[in-house]
Amino acid sequence: MNQFVFEKQQKSTFIGMMILGVICMVLTFVGDDAFHTRFWSNFLHNSVYFTGIAFGALFVLSASLLAYGGWHTIFKRVWEAYSLFLIVGLVLMGVIVAGVLGGFHHLYHWADKASVEADEILKGKSGFLNPMIYTIFTIGFVGIWFFIAQRMRAISQDEDQNGNESFSQHKKLKFWAAIFLPLGGFSSAAIIWQWVMSLDAHWYSTLFAWYCTASMVVTMYAFTLLILVYLRSKGYYTLVTQEHLHDIGKYIFGISIFWTYLWFSQFMLIWYANVGEETIYFKTRLEEYRPLFFLNLGINFFIPFLVLIRNDTKRKVGSLVFVSIIVILGHWLNFFLMIKPGVLHTAHELAHHDTHKVGGNESEIKMHSVKTSQENHADANSVPHTAAATHGEGHEVVSHDSHSDHAEVPAGFHFPGLLEIGTWIGFLGLFLYFVFWQLTKARLTPPNDPFVGESYHHHV
Amino acid sequence: MSVVVSPIREPLIGGNKTYHQITEDICAPTETTPPKSWVIAFIASVITLAYGLFCIGWLIYFGTGTWNLNRTIGWGWDITNFVWWIGIGHAGTLISAILLLFRQKWRTGVNRAAEAMTIFAVICAAIFPVIHVGRIWVVFYFFPLPNTRGPLWVNFNSPLLWDIFAISTYFTVSLLFWYTGLVPDFATIRDRASGFRKKLYQFLSFGWTGSAKHWQRWESLSLVLAGISAPLVLSVHTIVSFDFATSIIPGWHTTIFPPYFVAGAIFSGFAMVQTLMLVTRHVLKLQDYITVSHIESMNKVILFTGTMVGVAYLTELFIAWYSGYVYEQFAFLNRATGIYWWSYFGMMTCNVLSPQLFWIKKFRTSIFWTFIMSIFVNIGMWFERFVIIATTLARDYIPSSWSYYTPSWVEIGIYVGTFGLFFTLYLGFSRVAPVVAIAEIKSILKSSGNQYVNHHKDAHHHNINEQHALDHLTAEHEGEHHH
Amino acid sequence: MLRKRNKTVIYGLYNDESDLLTAVNKANSKHLDIFDVYSPFPIHGLDPLLGLAESRLHIGGFIYGLLGTMTAFGGMTWIFTRDWPMIFGGKPYWSVPAFIPITFELTVLFASIGMVVTFYTICGLGPGVNNTILDERTSDDKFALAFDLGSLSNDKVDGLRSFLKESGAGEIHIKDI
Repeated sequence: MNQFVFEKQQKSTFIGMMILGVICMVLTFVGDDAFHTRFWSNFLHNSVYFTGIAFGALFVLSASLLAYGGWHTIFKRVWEAYSLFLIVGLVLMGVIVAGVLGGFHHLYHWADKASVEADEILKGKSGFLNPMIYTIFTIGFVGIWFFIAQRMRAISQDEDQNGNESFSQHKKLKFWAAIFLPLGGFSSAAIIWQWVMSLDAHWYSTLFAWYCTASMVVTMYAFTLLILVYLRSKGYYTLVTQEHLHDIGKYIFGISIFWTYLWFSQFMLIWYANVGEETIYFKTRLEEYRPLFFLNLGINFFIPFLVLIRNDTKRKVGSLVFVSIIVILGHWLNFFLMIKPGVLHTAHELAHHDTHKVGGNESEIKMHSVKTSQENHADANSVPHTAAATHGEGHEVVSHDSHSDHAEVPAGFHFPGLLEIGTWIGFLGLFLYFVFWQLTKARLTPPNDPFVGESYHHHV
Repeated sequence: MSVVVSPIREPLIGGNKTYHQITEDICAPTETTPPKSWVIAFIASVITLAYGLFCIGWLIYFGTGTWNLNRTIGWGWDITNFVWWIGIGHAGTLISAILLLFRQKWRTGVNRAAEAMTIFAVICAAIFPVIHVGRIWVVFYFFPLPNTRGPLWVNFNSPLLWDIFAISTYFTVSLLFWYTGLVPDFATIRDRASGFRKKLYQFLSFGWTGSAKHWQRWESLSLVLAGISAPLVLSVHTIVSFDFATSIIPGWHTTIFPPYFVAGAIFSGFAMVQTLMLVTRHVLKLQDYITVSHIESMNKVILFTGTMVGVAYLTELFIAWYSGYVYEQFAFLNRATGIYWWSYFGMMTCNVLSPQLFWIKKFRTSIFWTFIMSIFVNIGMWFERFVIIATTLARDYIPSSWSYYTPSWVEIGIYVGTFGLFFTLYLGFSRVAPVVAIAEIKSILKSSGNQYVNHHKDAHHHNINEQHALDHLTAEHEGEHHH
Repeated sequence: MLRKRNKTVIYGLYNDESDLLTAVNKANSKHLDIFDVYSPFPIHGLDPLLGLAESRLHIGGFIYGLLGTMTAFGGMTWIFTRDWPMIFGGKPYWSVPAFIPITFELTVLFASIGMVVTFYTICGLGPGVNNTILDERTSDDKFALAFDLGSLSNDKVDGLRSFLKESGAGEIHIKDI
């Protein structure tokens, strides 16, 4: 079966997942603080995560094309489908962009004009960290990536119909791949600084972009493995054998080690030199996010390493599926750990800043303070003692005293709660719906690709 | 068993070779008297080496005062040259290990010579830490050896000590890997030799018989060694970068250093492989084994790693500005516009701009341009290390300490001497050992020999009829299942 | 010293690895006991036909590596927390991140040296070893299939000879090795 049929049951499952996601997001939004910090940080977290997978797919496709890699050819349509998800990523990140421009959310400390005025460091960075550059980079770069992904897809489909002896479409694909690789290499770094690193607006690390990219690429491989195993169980991709899964297993193994290498390089250098501006990043995470910090390293390094070090586990579907699920969740946690502390810090800063500046003039205060979570209300010790205010929607808003900032643990920040997982499932439903829909639009195995024979006869 | 090769792959072995011709061609240099050009090159190398040894002797006798190091420039040409040579020593193991794991078959044409080059480059590099200590007779203090100084240990927290471990390990593992690959090829020469040469190669080939079980273990060993050499090769330059990056000196302390040093090392290593291979293939008449397609592949690696290095330079530059940290900002401004601006200029031109020529196929496949570019890259990567080391140290926090550094004749002499050592070893290697891995070339002949690849072009399924092609694949698939 | 294995074998030389593979297949179907195969390079797909068990060298490598890990990490831990505790750069005695590089290097070093030494030992190869070579052309372009003559009767030897001939061997010889 080379033509994929998107079954009704699958559709309804994915739609169900999306509905669950929407419900969770609504619940998050309603039960959130005045800034809707939890809602927006979840939105950003999952948007970056899934857009990253799409980017990773396009990157790996392009790299394989230029390196004469052929083993993946029989299932390359899966990666093409992933790469097209960039259009959804563009819309999702477009929402964040709109939020930056319109001030709907307070994810980025640098997006707040008053804070930038009062902060020399933010002022120094404002040439790069400003709503305009954020908008142009996000829309521009993701737009260009999608354009290239879409071009490559069209050429690849054209090859199915009009493939010829001189492999003219393959040459065109290589042309676009050669354009994308350097462009994607440069622009992804800038995008990652903007989207993720600037959440901790004072902090900087030159390695950060490559570290994030490794995370995205390994997640992409793990998703590929799961989808292939699923599609095989449905009777598709019978040509995908143990040999191909073995190679995906090797990539998951290898990139997990590479990710750990980057993790170690970044952590060790900052730990060793102990320059305050840099160390604060890990100090926060080690002190306030300690379980997550070690969990991140444990499940993204030790599990793939120990399970996949053997050759036979790289060939067994069971162990591969297990590791893939771990890697998918693990790198989701990795992004969680990169995103949440910065966002929470921003919210604290802004709440603190606003209460001080605006003082008692309540009519001018809109959504400026952070409410503690429901759970923490039960804990009498943690109820902040600053004046409570009420805002338009009738929610109670409790602002923080700056001294008690770190004593409180708002839900969904120091560890993902049920709402985070629900939101992720919603995004996952969207991603899978989109990918399956794209899979219906072309043959699952491209018959005229020059590498298809090699890919079929692939032996490790 | 059929070998399926994509119709768009270029053959990697030209000239319709048979197994026997491969043996003849590759063994020939070890069995004939060297040409005049070789003799001249060898004598020149030995003389250069002798001069280098003289300078080292001078240094040891009179001490490191004969170098122009000063306050604040405590590291100069010594460390620059050390890092440069170590970087060059990365291509060999990368080709044998990482390209083996990635199943890039073109590595078979160049891996042997590249590994040899790696080992010789590491020897050249290792000279510098040894001679720079001043009291060379206690150089064993580097190692955590039992000693008469009481339970006084080396500092395991020091990146300089990590470097000692990294380089000794790298040298040992590369040597083992290289020699294990050479054993079957030495056996091939042994079985053709007579007299004294027979005895020599009998010794070198360790009694290799070519038994099936031995081959099986040999393959398994190669694969595992490749598997652990891949992270090893990354770790070596990573640890070299730690020498700088663990400090708090602006311009040195940056987290991108580890992968960026590795990319730079691969970049310069491949450039040196190109320089050597272009000459070797010409002199030893190995054009059928080291084809233009090999050269093009290596140029692609150079382009890729050069661009990665470019991304890293720009990242550093950008983050220096972005950090808002004035000393960091100054360090980079000083690199580009300070007293050593010319070395920054050389670095940027040679490393980032010039490799971009390789986007054009004409340059990528031109022997002449490849040679020119390989020299450019080697110069550029030397400048990179000089920029990082001297430029940064010349401009301290305190302007009153600012100084300038030029190497003394001893420092230049030692650097020149390492070239003598490198080429003496390489020229010797090219007459004693097969510079192309005979057994590995034979094992890819059926999939990459030009007569076989062309055969596939006519016969195999790249059918333009879609339905037919898929039927064919599926039928084959089911056929195999029934077996 | 020339090392002998005190065997007498009959062997056929083939010109191509595919001819050899076919011959090995045939020998298997006739239940002939193959002594060994000699070739100038490793032949893909030969090992299962000869019934060679997968090499366990990599398991050895893992154990040697583990030994290196423990030596390095344990050693540094003991030295810096028990034998001679010292503070460097304000870091704790037991500075795990700083121990990682050396731990990694020694893991690789132990694994490599251990495996290479094991390889040469179990193969009976090494400096100064000088095995009898069955046929010098097997390191060039010939592929040899050998049967142990042992105490086989003349009939059986003739049977092997005709098998080799039929399966396409260009030359057939008997040799003491």
